[in-house]
Amino acid sequence: MRTRAEANRQRWAILAFALAVLVLSFVLLKSAYYQLVLTQVLLWAVLSLAWNILCGYSGYFSFGHAGFWGLGAYTVALGMMYFDLSPWISIPFCALVGAAAGAIIGYPTFRLRGHYFALAMLAYPLATLYVFQWLGYQELTLPMKREAPLLYMQFEDPRGYVVLALGLLVIALLISLKVENSRFGMSLLAIKQNEPAAEAAGINTWRLKMLALMLSGALAAVAGGLYAVILLVVTPETVFGMLVSAQALILALFGGVGSLWGPVIGAIVLVPLAEGLNAELGDVLPGIQGVVYGVAIIAIILLAPEGVYWRVLDRFSKRAPAAEPPPRLAAPASNIAPLPRAPASSGADLLVLRDIGISFGGLRALDGIDLTLPEGGLYGIIGPNGAGKTTLFNVINGFLASDRGAITFAGEPITGLRPNQVCRRGIGRTFQVVRAFPRMSVLENVIVGAFIGAATEAVARDMALAALDRVGLVDQAEKTAGGLTTRELRLMELARALVPHPRLMLLDETLAGLGHDDLGGILGVIRQLRAEGITVLIIEHTMHAMVQLVDHFTVLDHGRLIATGRPQDVVRDPRVIEAYLGKKWSDRVAVPAK
Amino acid sequence: MQNSPTRRSVTAGLALGALAVPALHARSAKAQAKSVKIAMIAPLSGPWARQGQLLRQGADMAVEEFNSQGGIKSLGGAKLEIIYGDAGDNTEKAKNAAQRLLSDHPDLVGGSGAWLSSFTLAVTEVTERAQVPWLTLSYSDAITNRGFKFVFQTSPTADWQAAETLPTALKLAEHATGKRPKTIGVIQDNTASPVSFGKYLREGGGLEKVGLKASVDQIFTPPLSDATPLVDKVRSAKPDFLLLLTSAMPDCKLVLEKLDEFKLAKGKMPLVGNGAPFGSPELLNTIGPELLEGLLFSVANWPLKGQEEFIERFKKRTGEPFATQDALCGYGDVAILKEALEAAGAADKLKVAEAIRHMNLTTGPAAQFFPGPIKFDEKGRRQDVPMIFAQWQKGVPLTVFPEDRALAKPFWPSV
Repeated sequence: MRTRAEANRQRWAILAFALAVLVLSFVLLKSAYYQLVLTQVLLWAVLSLAWNILCGYSGYFSFGHAGFWGLGAYTVALGMMYFDLSPWISIPFCALVGAAAGAIIGYPTFRLRGHYFALAMLAYPLATLYVFQWLGYQELTLPMKREAPLLYMQFEDPRGYVVLALGLLVIALLISLKVENSRFGMSLLAIKQNEPAAEAAGINTWRLKMLALMLSGALAAVAGGLYAVILLVVTPETVFGMLVSAQALILALFGGVGSLWGPVIGAIVLVPLAEGLNAELGDVLPGIQGVVYGVAIIAIILLAPEGVYWRVLDRFSKRAPAAEPPPRLAAPASNIAPLPRAPASSGADLLVLRDIGISFGGLRALDGIDLTLPEGGLYGIIGPNGAGKTTLFNVINGFLASDRGAITFAGEPITGLRPNQVCRRGIGRTFQVVRAFPRMSVLENVIVGAFIGAATEAVARDMALAALDRVGLVDQAEKTAGGLTTRELRLMELARALVPHPRLMLLDETLAGLGHDDLGGILGVIRQLRAEGITVLIIEHTMHAMVQLVDHFTVLDHGRLIATGRPQDVVRDPRVIEAYLGKKWSDRVAVPAK
Repeated sequence: MQNSPTRRSVTAGLALGALAVPALHARSAKAQAKSVKIAMIAPLSGPWARQGQLLRQGADMAVEEFNSQGGIKSLGGAKLEIIYGDAGDNTEKAKNAAQRLLSDHPDLVGGSGAWLSSFTLAVTEVTERAQVPWLTLSYSDAITNRGFKFVFQTSPTADWQAAETLPTALKLAEHATGKRPKTIGVIQDNTASPVSFGKYLREGGGLEKVGLKASVDQIFTPPLSDATPLVDKVRSAKPDFLLLLTSAMPDCKLVLEKLDEFKLAKGKMPLVGNGAPFGSPELLNTIGPELLEGLLFSVANWPLKGQEEFIERFKKRTGEPFATQDALCGYGDVAILKEALEAAGAADKLKVAEAIRHMNLTTGPAAQFFPGPIKFDEKGRRQDVPMIFAQWQKGVPLTVFPEDRALAKPFWPSV
C-alpha cells in the first residue's frame, strides 16, 4: 500500500500524462492517421489496465479478456443498429454488461486456480464468438449519422476520439490507483502471493476475486464499446478473437504486470511499433511485421522478464543511496487504544470437536476425534509424522470440510464455514511452512490480517503496529518479508494472526526449525498470549519444548486420538511411547512403571 | 514488384531500428511531377494474402500497361501512380491502412479494395469521409446500403447473387438435360457470406421461388474435421444437385473427397458453388482436376470472351495457370479509374467521383474487364450485370455463362 504522498504523486503523474497526450494530439500531430493510432494506443492501454486489475494484482491470469471487449463492442453496435441508441448512452451501459459478464464467468471459473483458470477463461470469448456468428452478426456496421453526428459520437475531427479515449484511460488509471491504495488492492496482492494465507487471515478471497473480475470486465467492456465507435465495423473475429486477449496480456507483460504504468508503457511502445511495422513492411515483405514484433517481445522478455516498468524501477532504485535508514516508526504509543482484553479465563468450553472424521481416498486421516478445549489454556497436540495434526487444524479453520462430526466454537457451530468466516469468529492460525506475502513489507503482511476488524486504513495500520509490538518485531516493520529469518517470519505470522484479537490461536509447528536461542523468544511470546487470556492450541514435534510449555497434551496417531492429559502423564503413556518410538521402547518403559 | 530503392532503404533502416524507434512515417514523397495517385488496399499479409497479391498483380499490370500506352491522355499524358496499403488480417489494420494512405497522400484521386467485405466496410468508412471515390469487388450488401456517395461496388451484391445463382443453374441444367431439377442439397459453413446466401434461400423464399425442395440442409462451423456426417446425408437423400457454400479451401476439399469416397463425385452428383475460391488455382493444386471436373460456380467476375489476349499476358507475366476474379478486378478497377480520369479531365477526386457516377461504358478496357456495362446506380451498385457461371473443364475453370461472353459450353453432369 502506498502512502498518501505517493498516491498524490501518482495523481500528478496521471495529470501530466494526460496533458502530454493532449499536447501531442493538438499541437504536434497533424495527420488523422497518427490521431487514429494514438486513439488506439489509449484504448488498448485501457484494456490492458483492465486486465491488470484482475490479473496483475490477484495473480489470476486471464486469456479471455476479449470476451468483455467484444461484448462491449457488440452492445454499442447492436444498440445503435436496432434501437438507435447513442454510444453516449450505450458505452456507460457497457460497464454493466461487462460487470454482469464478469459475475457470470467468475461464478463457475473461480473454482479453478493457476493455469486451469487461465485456460478456462480462454474458452469464453471463443465460445461467444460462435454464438455471435450463429446469431447472424458476422458483420455489423455502425450507421453513419449525417444529421446529428455529435449526438452519436461521430466526430469530424479525429481529436474528438483522442479526447474520449484519453478520458477513459485517465478513469482507468485513477481506478487502478484507487485499487492499489485500498485494502481491496492489498488483499488482491495477498491473494496473489498466498491465497490460503489470505483466506486464513480473514480475507473473503472469493468475494474479492469476483469484485476484481467484475471491475476488470466492466472497464474492458467500456473500452470495447468505444473501440466499436472508432472502428465502425464489428465482426466476431475482430473483437472476440484470440488477438484481443493476447494484446491485453502482452501489453501488460511487456510494460510490467501489477503496476499502474506498465500497461500504459506496453501500449505506448508496442501498438505504434506493430502499426509502424505493418505500414512500412506489410506491402513489401508481407508477414515480416509479425516476425519483427515477435522478436521485439522475446527480446524484452529476456532482458526485462518482469516488464519494462519494474526493470527501470529496479535500475533506478539501485542507484539511489542504499544506506538510507528506514524511516523510524513511532512505536505504537499512547495514541493506540490498549488491547481489548480477551475475556478472562472463564474455563468454559471454547472449542468442542465431536466425532470429527475425514478421509482422503482410502486413507482415514482423522477418525472420530473428540476434543474439548476450555478457554484460557495452552494446549498441545503431538504425534508422529502423518498422525493428522495439520489436517485437524485444516478442518477446524475451514480449509478442509470434514466428512462427519461437528465443531462448535464459543457455543456456536462453525462446521463448514469458509476459512475467512472462521477467522472472523475469532480463530487465528499460523502455518507449518510460513505463508508470508514475500513481496510485501512486514507491516503490510500484518495489515492484511487487520482488515477484518479495522474500519479505516489508519486503524488497520495502528492495529498492525500494535500486533508487531506484541511479538517484538516493530523494528522490522518496513522490511520486505522475503528477507526475514525463520524466527522473524514465525513472529510476523504470529502477529498477523493476532491482529484481529482472536480468542483461539492455532499454531502449527511454530517452533519447527528454530535454534535454541531463537526458541526462547518465541516461547516467551506464546506464554504472553496465554497470560493475556488467549487460548492457544499448538502442534509440535519436539516433545521437549512442549512439556515445558503446555498445560495439556493431546496425542494423535494414525488419525486417532490415543492419549490426552497432563504432559507428565502423557509422555509416560505406553501408547504414546509406542507411537513415537515403537513397541520395544514402550515395553521397556512399561516395566519400571510397575 | 516495383519497389523503388528509396523504399527499400527505408525498409532496411526500419528493420534495424524497429526495436528502438517505432518509426511510423518515413516515406519520401518523391512522386514524379506529373503523376496521378490512386490507391489499393488489399490483404497483403495474413490469411488472405494470396488473394491480395492477385489483386495487386492485376493492378500493377494495368498501371504499367496504361502508362506505357501514354498515360492519361486528357491530362497531357500524366502517369498513373498506384500506392498500396496492407489490410493485414483484421479490420483495425485495414482501417489504419486507409487512414494512413489518406494522410500520407492527400492528393489521392481514387482507390480500390479491400477484398474482404468487413475490411471494405472499415476502409470505406474512412474514404467516404475523405470523399475519395472507392471501388470494391467485395460482395456484401452492407457496403452500399449505408447511403455512401463515394463507394462503387463492381461486383453484383451478395443478395443479388443469391437470388440469381439458382435460377441460372436450373436453366443450365434444363438446357443440358431437358429435365428441371426438383430437389437440392445445401452444405454451407456459417461465415458471413454463406450465411447471408443461405438466409436468402431459406427465409427469403429463394428455394420456393424456383420450386426447389431442400432434401439436405446442413450448416457447419469451420474448420470441418470430418465431412462424413454431411456427405452421408447427401448419399441417403440423393438430391438432384448439391449447392456448396464453403469459404475455406480445406473444408471444400474434405467435402469433395468424401463425395468421391461415397461415389458421388466425378459427375455423379452435380455440384454448384458460389464465389471465386471455387475457381482458385490452389483448389486445383490440392484437389486435382478429376474431382473438380464439372463443378459449376457462380462468381462476380471471371475471364471472359474478349480477354484472351490479356489472359495470355497475365499468365506469362505471373506464371499463374489462369486468371481469376481477383486479378481481373485489380486490373479492371484501375481501368475504371483511368476512364474516369480521362472523362474528368482533372486530377481531382470529386470530379473523378462524378465521372464514375455518370459512367456508361460498353467498350474499352474497363468494360472489357467486367461482364455487362460499367454503369452505377445511385447506391453505387452496378446495373444490368449478368451472373457469371464458370465450370471446371479438364483442369481449368472456364466461363460458361452468359453465352455471349462464355469461353466454353456448359455441361450438366448426368445424374
